[in-house]
Amino acid sequence: MTDHAAIHIDRLVRRYGHTDAVNGLTLEVKPGRCYGFFGRNGAGKTTTIKCLLNLLRPTSGTVRVFGLDPRKAEVAVKSRIAYVPDYVAFYPWMTVRQTLDYFAAFRARWNRATESALLDRFRLDPRQNTTHLSKGQRTQLALITAICAEPELLVLDEPTAGLDPIVRREFIEAVIGAYQEGDPGRRTVFVSTHLIAEFEGLIDEFTIIEDGRAVLSSDADRARDRYQKVYARFAAPLGGTLDLGAARVLKQNGREIEVLAEGDAELVVERLKARSPEVVKTESLTLEEIFVAALQPARGSAALA
Amino acid sequence: MRLQLNFKSGKPVYLQIVDQVRAAVAAGSIRAGEPLPSIRPLAEELRVNRNTVAKAYTELESQGVIETAAGKGCFVRNTGTPLKKKACLTLLAEEVDQAVVQAHHLQVTRAEFLKLVEERLDSFEEQRHRKVAT
Repeated sequence: MTDHAAIHIDRLVRRYGHTDAVNGLTLEVKPGRCYGFFGRNGAGKTTTIKCLLNLLRPTSGTVRVFGLDPRKAEVAVKSRIAYVPDYVAFYPWMTVRQTLDYFAAFRARWNRATESALLDRFRLDPRQNTTHLSKGQRTQLALITAICAEPELLVLDEPTAGLDPIVRREFIEAVIGAYQEGDPGRRTVFVSTHLIAEFEGLIDEFTIIEDGRAVLSSDADRARDRYQKVYARFAAPLGGTLDLGAARVLKQNGREIEVLAEGDAELVVERLKARSPEVVKTESLTLEEIFVAALQPARGSAALA
Repeated sequence: MRLQLNFKSGKPVYLQIVDQVRAAVAAGSIRAGEPLPSIRPLAEELRVNRNTVAKAYTELESQGVIETAAGKGCFVRNTGTPLKKKACLTLLAEEVDQAVVQAHHLQVTRAEFLKLVEERLDSFEEQRHRKVAT
């Protein structure tokens, strides 16, 4: 079983009426990885996740979780997954304690030590009724129910949207600490979000989805190495044309130029240096900047005016 | 020892941790025999994947900078680097090259560059002495 990818999605299509919410998505998440699933609102993230959980049936294409088809092996799949949605609802008549016991009853494993550590950390009162919890506290409770079951795959759908910065921070720390610590090789995270910056350090690998399709899939370190911003300043305004290959000019005014290079930063730097600049600096893009760059249409050539 | 990650540096995150721990050892802000933070709290503090910190520690261990005591965690090694002097210099030359290239672009002269290197060496040495004294 461990040889299978935690998630394998192949040419997934999910149609609502005439709209293709997901339109030919392919991606693979290896066990033990923390995988980011980045997209704007309406890009198809939640639809994809619902197909993983058998809450929606694919129109075509395949979805496998640990090599299993969630439609045919729903119980086997769900016993190895925990899911934290963006909006969490609990039974309103239950307290925090009763809610945890209720969730534990469905699970083969339940880590009591983790449960009490996280209740303390989030300062949640077990006697409190769930209707009295704030949005942040409901998300925290949902995360506890997810982590205590020690699933092999933790699926987070926009988990930190609408939460305050402290709750967000504690949320991510709990995913790193309480969840990953247990058995790092068998703790896979699949997190969909458009708040990319706060997950930056956590992400090993990611896919950017737009209009239901993968626009870019990459290892995070490799992507930061590939996408570079090159800045140069010259003694005098540049005349003539400067061939910068496929690089995109982001900004240019007088003596300064800023260029986005995708994998060919060295060539760009070399060509800029040939014009004897006063300063040349390169800087990697963060994942959030890569997200923006990947979704923005290319703007013209690199020829100077 | 304080670690600071920069996602704009283009350097893989685990290598940033490796380099900063090595710099901390070189500056004496963490000394032989002293423990490194355990993986979980450090990962939480830096808000990076636990596996990234684990990978950095594995690399530091293979470079001979730290050693793992079973059940006790990781410690800075007592003996210096086990690498042969020549290999060390080759490693270092790559880093120096980067500074040399940068110096060229900033139009820093050879004399100014060498003077700066001397100053930096002095500064690190001073820091180390101060640490030992306190």
